[in-house]
Amino acid sequence: MSALGGAAAALQVVGVLAGAPLVVGGMRQVRARLEGRTGGGIAQPWRDLRKQLRKQQITPRGTTVVFALAPAVVAGSTLLIAAIVPLIALGSPLDSVADLFGVVGLLFLGTVALTLAGLDTGTAFGGMGSSREITIAALVEPTILLAVFALSVPGHSANLAAIVTGTTHNPGQVLTPGSLLAFVALIIVIIAETGRLPVDNPTTHLELTMIHEAMILEYAGPKLALVEWASAMRLTVLLALVANLFLPWGIAGADPSLLTIVLGVAAITIKVVVLASLLAAGEVFIAKLRLFRVPELLAGSFLLALLAVTASYVLAASN
Amino acid sequence: MNILLLAPILAPLTAAVLAALMGWRRLSASVTVLAALSVLISGAAIGLRVGDGAQFGVGRLLRADALSVTMLVVIGTVGTLATWASVGYINAELAHGHTDRKGANLYGMLVPVFLAAMALAVLANNIGVMWVAIEATTVATAFLVGHRRTRASLEATWKYVVICSVGIALAFLGTVLLYFASLHAGASSSNALDFDVLLTHAAQLDPAVTRLAAGLLLLGYGAKAGLVPFHTWLADAHSQSPAPVSALMSGVLLSVAFSALLRVKAVVDLALGTGFLRIGLLIVGLLTMLVAASLLVVQTDFKRMLAYSSMENMGLVAVAAAAGTKLAIAALLLHVLAHGIGKALVFLAAGQLQAAHDSTAIDDVTALLARSRLVGTAFAVGLVVLLGLPPFAMFASELSISRALAGAHLEWALAVALLLMVIAFAALVLNGARMLLGPPDESSPPIAVPRSVAGALITGVILSVVLGLTAGPLTHLFHTAATLLGAAE
Amino acid sequence: MTQTTYTGALDLAAGAFLLAAVLIVWRRELRAIVRLLAWQGTALAAIPLIEGVQQRDAALITVGVIVLLLKALALPVLLGRVVGTEVGERRESTPLVNTTASLLITAGLTVLAYAVTRPIIALDPTAATRAVPASFAVILIAIFVMVSRRRALSQAVGFLMLDNGIAATAFLITAGVPLIVELGASLDALFAVLVLGVLTGRMRRAFGDTDLDQLRELRD
Repeated sequence: MSALGGAAAALQVVGVLAGAPLVVGGMRQVRARLEGRTGGGIAQPWRDLRKQLRKQQITPRGTTVVFALAPAVVAGSTLLIAAIVPLIALGSPLDSVADLFGVVGLLFLGTVALTLAGLDTGTAFGGMGSSREITIAALVEPTILLAVFALSVPGHSANLAAIVTGTTHNPGQVLTPGSLLAFVALIIVIIAETGRLPVDNPTTHLELTMIHEAMILEYAGPKLALVEWASAMRLTVLLALVANLFLPWGIAGADPSLLTIVLGVAAITIKVVVLASLLAAGEVFIAKLRLFRVPELLAGSFLLALLAVTASYVLAASN
Repeated sequence: MNILLLAPILAPLTAAVLAALMGWRRLSASVTVLAALSVLISGAAIGLRVGDGAQFGVGRLLRADALSVTMLVVIGTVGTLATWASVGYINAELAHGHTDRKGANLYGMLVPVFLAAMALAVLANNIGVMWVAIEATTVATAFLVGHRRTRASLEATWKYVVICSVGIALAFLGTVLLYFASLHAGASSSNALDFDVLLTHAAQLDPAVTRLAAGLLLLGYGAKAGLVPFHTWLADAHSQSPAPVSALMSGVLLSVAFSALLRVKAVVDLALGTGFLRIGLLIVGLLTMLVAASLLVVQTDFKRMLAYSSMENMGLVAVAAAAGTKLAIAALLLHVLAHGIGKALVFLAAGQLQAAHDSTAIDDVTALLARSRLVGTAFAVGLVVLLGLPPFAMFASELSISRALAGAHLEWALAVALLLMVIAFAALVLNGARMLLGPPDESSPPIAVPRSVAGALITGVILSVVLGLTAGPLTHLFHTAATLLGAAE
Repeated sequence: MTQTTYTGALDLAAGAFLLAAVLIVWRRELRAIVRLLAWQGTALAAIPLIEGVQQRDAALITVGVIVLLLKALALPVLLGRVVGTEVGERRESTPLVNTTASLLITAGLTVLAYAVTRPIIALDPTAATRAVPASFAVILIAIFVMVSRRRALSQAVGFLMLDNGIAATAFLITAGVPLIVELGASLDALFAVLVLGVLTGRMRRAFGDTDLDQLRELRD
């Protein structure tokens, strides 16, 4: 662990903080252009955040500290993940805790915090959104675990940096059936976890179709800004993680130099932009799934992740 | 020897080709009867030639030993009775409009194919070929079950084809696994599935893989034999098919499938010891008897009643095979023969009842003995045979099976089996009495009996009586078969 | 071909084979299921072809080509023709077990297949036998599909999948059973499908559609 390694980790956090709204803005812009609209520009989410931050803080009567703290917990856990996972460089100071279970645990912490906040408001929509979110989370968390576990089998280590290093040294690994299945499962999981189509429509204003929006319906002002920001950061971090797990080239090594760090920043930016644009383009062509069909999709992705694990084991045993 | 071995397969195939070319005519139907008779005669001839050992033909593809001779005798006897009765039965159906020319032609072609497939199954040396033959019987009988084209028979055909195909597919998987184990035990790939090669290499078969294979084979061939858990097709298929086909299926096909299981058991017992299949057969056999006895009690349809009686007997046969001693296997084979003839007799009589009443409900039939001496006596004799009363052969076979079970220290299984047999006995007696006895009602329709059916019924009665009085040279045949299957003392 | 290419190719074929089975459980439309069956047949034919190329065995390659023609072309076309005559009933009605539960049960069956086939891999630990759990899982999934579907055609598809799974197992562990048995098995599969096709036609004429829930006249 070097000073530059620590600097890279700090750069990851700042990058995610600053870049997340731009990623969301970029996705909205791609959608708008494909749908024939002008769109609000890539920086629109930043402008919305600025507007929210200047508003008055309003707290609904009857809510407790859970409601008050939830945005901070979500944002904090996401930033911690951004510091841990290998996005720009491999030698993060928190590398020893950068294993699969830690990251999934932090993700789940954020989800649970927001769910409890939704329940805390005591309104019908809050409860509805929370129960739907937990239904999805119940199927999504095991799938993430299994999918990344499948990727970890060839390298015999659940440490994310080790997985990324293994893929860098052995590019053919990405094309094995286990890896491909894990990729598909992870994409479905990200869509579900971050509330994108076809699981949840982020731009809906019909309360009965909401999942994520229903939970945060009672938030206003700075807290709303924090919640929206945290959601954007989660999307960015997950996309970056998937990009680095399957296409790790360009990432700086465990002992980075200034040049490799700059290269790493450029690489991850390009990968996230490409992945986000593809996701947004795909959303244009998909309709939202009816709510009772969502568990089918998630059970299917769970099964794919399970098959990925078994396929990886078979391959590992043969070699 | 080759000719003798090929005759039971080629003769019915020739009859099938003739029936396909000519359609349903007196000539083609008679040739089919002759073909079935030739199965019986060649079986007897092979038995005389083979004696105590085993002989091979067509380059080790076919095998003649005491077990195949026994099964050929069963196929030949019941086949002759059934095909003889078919002549009159189908002609009567054509006359009454229950079937058309096309249906009769299809029937005439499929029945000899069915017989040929069964003959191949019992003569095959390679257990893969044995599997192919048994699968062929499912395909051949599919449209025979659906002969009448009613909704009920269509349902029965669907269930039969689906369930038996699943079962036979599992048996194929078991065969493949056995082939795999045999290859690794040192057999060469060209004859690793030959029965004699398997017997010699049995001790080296890998136990875990053989256990998996044996389980699958038990389930798969058990499905064709009507054993739990793949038994649900039996009552439907046997009750919806035309009477001669029911006789063939109940009387012979179930036992042919079970003989395949006996061959497998001979190999598996050498590889794993007798314990594994003993427990498996006991569980399956007793459960089958339980299901059959319970459903016999609530029956309102006499053909379904007879079908469940077949299932009950197959369960008893499975329990006897579980005991595995020489006495048990010999008794089992006698039971199979006697049951075949008796079941054929009673099904042929039931067919005439169905033709007369146009229904198979027990309540619709009364005073059978008074109304028709021939059909009534035949039905009564067949029922008494099935009940296992002396002087008929099933009494001797059931007694021997009981002795064998006691001798193999399976007294608890014997007790359960006897209890279930008593329940079945009571159900059969009650329903039989309702159908046979009582004063005749003026409005009951007359029971016409075509000449060939009458001939078959009378022959059946005579055969049952003769078999009951003495098994004759067959006793030695059964004991030789038991020894060849590796049964312990 | 090199050992790693051979292992990778076999792994990919077995994986595609299992994935096709999973997608058959997932999808409900009859046309989609028949198309998936054709893909599964292709993956199945790939196994003897890969083995034949690896061992330079012409007989295996011939068998692979026959399997390709039969299971990837002939049988799905036959089934497709029967589907084509279904009027307005293209979609499967709700299966007896809903899709989510079916997929989770499929996951359980896959794990079960891995457990059950351990003695087979232990006896002969080659690259081919290591792919046997996939084909065994397909067998279990096929039985599950047959039990949990309501349409006659879906049961027929399940049966064909069972047949595919058993054929794949045979190819993987022994490079095929003796030719005569393989021929007999294929012919029997063909005849069984023909029988099922004819029966489906008769069923449609007698009952009006092919919903198996209508077959309930025979019971005790």
